[in-house]
Amino acid sequence: MIVFSHISKAYADGCPALDDVSLKIQTGDFVSIVGQSGAGKSTMLKLISAEERPTAGSIVIDGWNVAKIKRWQIPHLRRQIGVVYQDFKLLPKRTTLENVAFAMEVGGAASREISETVPHILKLVNLQEKAAAYPNELSGGEKQRVAIARALAYKPQILLADEPTGNLDALHSWDIVQLLIKINKLGTTVLLATHNDDVVNALKKRVITLNQGKVVSDQKGGTYKL
Amino acid sequence: MVGISFIRVFKAASQNFWRNIWLSVATTVIMTMTLLIVLFLFFANVFGLEVLHNVEQKVDLSVTFTDSASEEQVAALTREIESRSDVKGVEVVTSEQALAIFRQRNQDKPFIEESLAELEENPLPASMFIVATEPRFYQAMAGDLANERYAAVIAEVNFEDSRAVIDRLMTIILAIKNVGLVVTVIFVVLVVLIMFNTVRLAIYSFREEIDIMHLVGASRWFIRGPFVLESILVALLAVAVASAIAYPALKAASPELQRFFFESHADSTSFDIYQYAVDRWFTILGLQVVLAAGLAIFSSLIAVQRYLKN
Repeated sequence: MIVFSHISKAYADGCPALDDVSLKIQTGDFVSIVGQSGAGKSTMLKLISAEERPTAGSIVIDGWNVAKIKRWQIPHLRRQIGVVYQDFKLLPKRTTLENVAFAMEVGGAASREISETVPHILKLVNLQEKAAAYPNELSGGEKQRVAIARALAYKPQILLADEPTGNLDALHSWDIVQLLIKINKLGTTVLLATHNDDVVNALKKRVITLNQGKVVSDQKGGTYKL
Repeated sequence: MVGISFIRVFKAASQNFWRNIWLSVATTVIMTMTLLIVLFLFFANVFGLEVLHNVEQKVDLSVTFTDSASEEQVAALTREIESRSDVKGVEVVTSEQALAIFRQRNQDKPFIEESLAELEENPLPASMFIVATEPRFYQAMAGDLANERYAAVIAEVNFEDSRAVIDRLMTIILAIKNVGLVVTVIFVVLVVLIMFNTVRLAIYSFREEIDIMHLVGASRWFIRGPFVLESILVALLAVAVASAIAYPALKAASPELQRFFFESHADSTSFDIYQYAVDRWFTILGLQVVLAAGLAIFSSLIAVQRYLKN
């Protein structure tokens, strides 16, 4: 479970990104976070993965108070949270398989575990055929699936997807959303920050709407409304 | 887990080294030069002190006997001098021994032998070499032997004040130390700056990997380790190269140094700087590793701290 209690975040220029946000996200939920650019969607995800620290309030994830987490604890937290970005962040000189394996290598997984786990994950995201392909040989949708596969390498409890369909056409976007639904059905909590109203409306899941750093709407089975 | 991580960190460090190979070579060269300067200073100091010690111990006072001096007179004078408290030892060289030494030293000069053959008598006088317990006693001793009462036995007292030589040697050793220290400091600063920039460029060329490492929860050690380990690899390589240069150079120079600084003194014990270095190879290697790795870790940690914030 993720619990935000009176979270505020202001950047160095004094501009508030989040303003007194309190909410709970249950384990296994699929939550879409919507809002205009600068509404605080990405900041919310960055606070969960400890890329940013709140100015006030607390964020508790399964017993971890992320707001007060020690620097040495951050890697442990991040191995429980998979993150997917709009720009994929893949290593261009590594193949699909190597990109996924790299995530496990840096976390200290044994070589045998890596060689057994990675093919399973590639099968989950339907990329077995592209295991030896380099990122420049993949379509946008395939690149995003590699990024998702990498995020799943540690079997995270939470998957944060920050505009994962932002660089994709409608067909590939829907492909990625289907994959996120599949991952959610396997028990992973998914937080999807997006501008894509078609996706949000089709999902019929919980929708949190942000405006100028405040939660203006939080509906189960909600739709995209700004 | 720790073993696997170390292997992967080591692998990443090797990749860093090869990815910026020319920068790695430049850093290794500067580090090697720094070590060679420190080694030169160290050996020059050891050798200089040995030469100094040798000069202090050499025969500074010699007495040439008159042609008319009898064996009894020489023996009596020897006993008298040996009994002095400021005398450490006395060696008498007969005219025959002197001739033999002279011939041996000039055996590669045939004209000397020819000249000696033409002479009917041995031209070299008998002499006595006196070693004092301390160099400062020679002056007074020379004064005593120049006394009129020895005139029938002693033809000449040869005394060279070694204090001037000792002072000059000390000045040279000190100058080598001072200049060497300044050069060392310059090279140490160069090593730190170049190592710092090597690590900085390595961090730049690995920025994508580093971003993703952060993203997927790599530990601080996994991210920072390769850069620190790379600098240690450079340091160890520099130690190996410096040793590979220094030891053969010492081996080549040692006979010439011994001949130049020690052989002219009849009572000296020769000092082999190469043997000295070989006997202490472990300590010398250890000190080099400590110095080189210390500099490497210091510079790389600063770079990592500066450019790899979470």
